[in-house]
Amino acid sequence: MPHKILIIDDEDDIREVAALSLESVAGWDVVTANSGAQGVARAIEHQPDAILLDVMMPGMDGPSTFRELRKNPATAKIPVLLLTAKVQSSDQRRFADLGVESVLFKPFDPMTLADQIAGVLGWK
Amino acid sequence: MAMTTTAQPGGGAEAGTGPGKLTGLDLSAALDNLWVRFLPEIRARVGMLDAAVAAYAAGAMTSEEREAVHSAAHKLAGTLGTFNLARGTELAREFELLFAEDCVPDSVSAGRLASLAAELRVIVEGR
Repeated sequence: MPHKILIIDDEDDIREVAALSLESVAGWDVVTANSGAQGVARAIEHQPDAILLDVMMPGMDGPSTFRELRKNPATAKIPVLLLTAKVQSSDQRRFADLGVESVLFKPFDPMTLADQIAGVLGWK
Repeated sequence: MAMTTTAQPGGGAEAGTGPGKLTGLDLSAALDNLWVRFLPEIRARVGMLDAAVAAYAAGAMTSEEREAVHSAAHKLAGTLGTFNLARGTELAREFELLFAEDCVPDSVSAGRLASLAAELRVIVEGR
């Protein structure tokens, strides 16, 4: 059974490149959502093995979405990796304090994104 | 928690099985297709930066405009490197930092901003 990943990102280009990368390079199943609210709903419905969550989104942003996922027993234990283009150290510390599995940075390399995720989650 | 940095690189899918593993060349071709598809959006973001340069030079930027420029630059910074345009990410990130909420670009010359925007456009159009 391939791993199943949920990608939550409001930017169509990033979402599609990440989906292409994880499906095509790693052969994983990918589910996508274009907002935090849609992401929470899809996480409940699809029960992915991990979630790749954008930080800056309109409406429910990444940290708020993460808290919603943790509050719901159906999604509370799904590993979450934040994806962000924020490079300032104050932002990085704030994200680290949330309790996510890891923080990955944009831009990412489509050839190695799956390896990074697998490495963090011990899927190798 | 791990903090993972990424190297600079080389669809709205519903749940489903991927088409199988691609080689680097295949992935590069697939990325080229996505680039063409999203180029209008990327050009629009670069256009926002161009407009910001003009507004800044005229001393006529509202806080809403600055926020919009900051957002466009942030998105470009995240996107361009993913399409193998690392220099584009650097330039967009500089724009983003200059237009951050707590960083009013008073001390920045309009010439520097114009230079950043012009180089960004060349990079985007040259891919």
